[in-house]
Amino acid sequence: MKRYGEHRFPGKLFIVEGIDGSGKSTQLMLLHQWLQAEGYGTVFSEWNSSPLVKETTKRGKKKQMLTPATFSLIHATDFADRMEHNIIPLLKAGAVVLCDRYIYTAFARDVVRGMDPKWVRELYSFAVKPTGAFYFRVPLDVAMKRILDGRTGVKFYEAGMDLGLSEDEEESFKLFQGRILEEYEKMVPEFDLIAVDATLPIEEQQSQMRQTVRAKLAQAKRLRVAP
Amino acid sequence: MRETYGVVLPGMNLADLTGKLIVIEGTDGVGRSTQIRLLKPWLEQQGRAVLETGMTRSSLAGKGIKQAKEGHTLGRVTLSLFYATDFADRLENEIVPALRAGFVVLTDRYIYSLMARAMVRGIDPVWIRNVYRFALKPDAVFYLRIGVDDLIPRVVFSTGFDYWESGMDLHPSEDMYESFLKYQTSLLQQFDVLGEEYGFEIVDASVDVRTVFERLRAGIARVLSGEPREPLFAVRGPKETAESRQESNVVELPSSGKVVAAGTES
Repeated sequence: MKRYGEHRFPGKLFIVEGIDGSGKSTQLMLLHQWLQAEGYGTVFSEWNSSPLVKETTKRGKKKQMLTPATFSLIHATDFADRMEHNIIPLLKAGAVVLCDRYIYTAFARDVVRGMDPKWVRELYSFAVKPTGAFYFRVPLDVAMKRILDGRTGVKFYEAGMDLGLSEDEEESFKLFQGRILEEYEKMVPEFDLIAVDATLPIEEQQSQMRQTVRAKLAQAKRLRVAP
Repeated sequence: MRETYGVVLPGMNLADLTGKLIVIEGTDGVGRSTQIRLLKPWLEQQGRAVLETGMTRSSLAGKGIKQAKEGHTLGRVTLSLFYATDFADRLENEIVPALRAGFVVLTDRYIYSLMARAMVRGIDPVWIRNVYRFALKPDAVFYLRIGVDDLIPRVVFSTGFDYWESGMDLHPSEDMYESFLKYQTSLLQQFDVLGEEYGFEIVDASVDVRTVFERLRAGIARVLSGEPREPLFAVRGPKETAESRQESNVVELPSSGKVVAAGTES
């Protein structure tokens, strides 16, 4: 079993992180299009998408039967399935793999829920270290405005309602996301996350991102798919 | 006060877990469930409330694991984590409440089986130990120990070879018998290592059900009375002679920690 950082694959892995409303998914979508146009074999891998574990996760969430421990472990299980069946084979095959959220999401959420930070990091040590990990940094109020404008409500676990921070969903959501934000900030130096100012115009953020990705793909010309 | 293996889960108060946590460990087909079926009424007759629990029975993940195993499609890290999820669910929703209510919790396997299986499948031993650091330390672990030669006839003449218990996911080109032999041999080796590390009390399971039951009863009676761990019950090492038994009641078996020598007839 290889551990974080020990994997050596021909493919490249780029991931985006940030709180809800940071605009990270938009940026990843734009990067995806650009990489495809450039001729790279690019695959997008979604968070929380393993069909095998999905049923259990869904049931646990619907019935609100998840504790911090089982929340953490069921998400790790799901992530492991994606890692073993999706991400690693793709990287072996030389693909450019894009992930919307990665292990850092789990670190932030689980630690806010009271799990031991060291334990959680060790739990995910089977993960592949990304070629580049982008963190979209946004002030809490900006993110809240983006989210709450466009939605009718937030889900139970998404709002961190299981933590009992507040009876009010919107209030709980804000408090929860605020704590997540603190955890992200701690991880920027710890994991060399590439921080992007998510209050800048979209195209400007994208141009920064492409510049970084281009530099990291320079040694990987053979990944190009013939036109 | 009760302890964990290093990590305390949020919201878990260790101070009020007054019950007893007793683990019955052992490989597939060694007779764990038979023993638990005998132990439960025996404890209840003494007025003890008993919770019986086991693997892959949690309300959260039990069904998912069963379905996934039917398809044989789980990766090894994924499978290990699925089991860990199931274990955490059982720990928080069954074991801890029962211990808080003063029950005797009899568990058919515990984290050690899960670790042994994972390690046989090439999982990093340091990683898997870390995964289970949130587990409660039990009051006692009784390990039903058997050699692979004694195990084979039991399996063949009862349930037959099972895909997972034969480690067919590891040796797909072998027949069930060959695979079973290899898999169980390495599993038993892992158990011996874990036994030493986690202080298992070893019970020779190659003898008849009644004798194993008597030895377990003696061990459990001791745990419940709060006496320190002492050689009260006996296990006979396979190559032990009558003379050596007279000399000492305690023998050292290779790779199995302290073992109590047989003395039932004397």
